[in-house]
Amino acid sequence: MASISLSNIHKFYPNGYAAVRDVSLDIKDGEFMILLGPSGCGKSTTLRMIAGLETISKGDLHIGGARMNDIDPADRDVAIVFQNYALYPHMTVIDNLSFGLRLRGVGRSIIDQRVANIADMLGIGELLSRKPAQLSGGQRQRVALGRALVREPKAFLLDEPLSNLDAKLRSAMRTELIKLHRTLGTTIVHVTHDQVEAMTMGERICIMKDGVIVQVGAPMEVYRNPVNTFVAGFLASPPMNLLRGRLSAQSLSLDGTVLALPPALGQAFADHAERDVIAGMRPEDFHLKADAAASTVPVEVHAVTTEVLGPEVILVATVSGEQGAEIHIRCPRDFRAKPGEIVIFHYDVSQLQLFDPETTYALKRPVQI
Amino acid sequence: MTIAADDRRLNNMPRTEQTAVERRDRMFGWLIASPSLGLLFLVILFPVFWALYTSVHDYTLIAPNFDTFNGIDNYTKALGDPEFRHTLWLTAFFVAAVVLLEFALGFLVALMLNSVERFKAIYYAILLCPLLMNPVIVGLIWRMFLHPSLGIVNYLLSLVGIDPVNWLGSTKVALWTIVMVDIWHQVSFMIVLLLAGLSALPREPYEAARVDGASALRSFWHITLPLMLPVIAVTLLIRLIFAVKTYDLVYIMTRGGPGVATDLVSYFIYRTAFVGLNIGEASAMSAILLAVIMGLTVWLHRYMRSLT
Ligand SMILES: Nc1ncnc2c1ncn2[C@@H]1O[C@H](COP(=O)(O)OP(=O)(O)OP(=O)(O)O)[C@@H](O)[C@H]1O
Ligand SMILES: [Mg+2]
Repeated sequence: MASISLSNIHKFYPNGYAAVRDVSLDIKDGEFMILLGPSGCGKSTTLRMIAGLETISKGDLHIGGARMNDIDPADRDVAIVFQNYALYPHMTVIDNLSFGLRLRGVGRSIIDQRVANIADMLGIGELLSRKPAQLSGGQRQRVALGRALVREPKAFLLDEPLSNLDAKLRSAMRTELIKLHRTLGTTIVHVTHDQVEAMTMGERICIMKDGVIVQVGAPMEVYRNPVNTFVAGFLASPPMNLLRGRLSAQSLSLDGTVLALPPALGQAFADHAERDVIAGMRPEDFHLKADAAASTVPVEVHAVTTEVLGPEVILVATVSGEQGAEIHIRCPRDFRAKPGEIVIFHYDVSQLQLFDPETTYALKRPVQI
Repeated sequence: MTIAADDRRLNNMPRTEQTAVERRDRMFGWLIASPSLGLLFLVILFPVFWALYTSVHDYTLIAPNFDTFNGIDNYTKALGDPEFRHTLWLTAFFVAAVVLLEFALGFLVALMLNSVERFKAIYYAILLCPLLMNPVIVGLIWRMFLHPSLGIVNYLLSLVGIDPVNWLGSTKVALWTIVMVDIWHQVSFMIVLLLAGLSALPREPYEAARVDGASALRSFWHITLPLMLPVIAVTLLIRLIFAVKTYDLVYIMTRGGPGVATDLVSYFIYRTAFVGLNIGEASAMSAILLAVIMGLTVWLHRYMRSLT
């Protein structure tokens, strides 16, 4: 077990491309850290630098307090699950799983026991004598995960380890990983695209974009207080609605629709009165009934279409007339609306987020109202 | 596990009839292959059968006819001939020496070249030069180089104080000289083939092995070697078959001598046929050689298969 600390880390690929720029991140001993970001933002590169498979162009990497920049991957005692699995093609599943242990001279009986445990947990017990070419994508991915888990290293680096599993298996594996983290207490860095994984698995989320870190924080903290419109628009699905508007002393006007702000909120944003803003409104903060306690204001929308998901219905609608900006609203599962129909929602303004349209960063806002 | 059970039942079902599409594809395949198959038959199968037919007759260049059928006489005579047996053993030794040495040297160079980043094309070009030369020319060049008193090799050796070596005239040295020249000529073949195999290896397992804690040597042993086995097998096989046929170098450089020190089997068969004029016996020897090569090929192929 070990902490992992990245200080001002840069990665320049030989072609001059700066894949990671000035990344600083302190991952605590035993922490479950999520790396989240769009494709090509440098997540894998960061992970591979921690593992030692890419050189660090600039900056310092410490694992367990020791500087690791020039240490061989073998001596860092971390295990990685590769995005492309990287199984040993000529070895059977059982040899793939046990290779690292055999190299480290672990005893036969311990190897057998650990491999059996992991194979059982991942449901690959029946595949042990097969070669990777004889496995499906999801099975390969589980073997790749197993190969890392069986090692019991100081830290796990998981590069989208569940991306290729079906929904049911993925949710089961999610739970297994969380349980495993709880029992082993090993530091885990987990790269993912999956919103649910990001929100449910990690103790903290690190959101990256274009090679830099945008925001780091506990899932709910990042969810509640996205630092900029990128994070707001990236986290959760459907993400936060972002609408251009103008703030005045006691109200927010969104292209014709005027939302009255409760005095407390108006006060909080007083510094920014009379300026253009981007309003961030979460889809789940629109309610069908007014709620006096939750300071709701009515908003009139034109239904465009509905996506019936089962447990809920996502309404796509426009505000301020049929030509207005589109927003997504999370509705109860029995909600129905015809295209063009006008629906009145009650928006909980206490959840409103405001962003500066120029910098895209969030305007100062009271945390509790 | 009902799905798996279904799968198994499906696999056990008798093979269904060919569909019309499959049949048409097959016909088309034969159609396309037939001209080259015909040519192959003409230039390979026909001579082979002709030689087999000759090998059971008393066919000499003095009496070139199939009048006297003599069964396996030619075979028993050949196998009973101590000189033929000597050439077989000599050839086995020669083949083992060139194939193993060329493989070891070739693999080493291929591994080094594989990690070279720049000027790869130039190295390739240099390597290919000997391969492009005709063996007869190689033999002539080296015969000049190795001339006991006029050759450049002995001259260079004299510069560092080494006594002249009778490269081709000494019974102790001559075979090794042929081995050396063959290596010079053919090692690039190994290098090029092995290098192609190495550069086609996937990169990812090596990264996984590095994280798993494998040293360079163990990566080579546990990943490179097993993944290269099919390429190694093919390379060895081709080299082996070609080495058994070695003839030109011997013809140009030593004529099998001194004495019978470099009397490789191909050269001996040639001599039996065109110096001894005994085509029938030479054909029997060729048939024996063919059987040995085929046996070796099958064995090597099986052995390499069993390793993967
Ligand atoms: N060997 C390389 N040489 C040059 N550029 C590279 C190299 N490898 C990756 N890159 C670039 O670096 C950037 C970051 O790549 P990386 O693989 O870290 O992305 P990622 O965040 O893992 O994306 P994904 O979610 O698609 O896996 C990408 O723009 C990619 O094109
Ligand atoms: Mg990636």
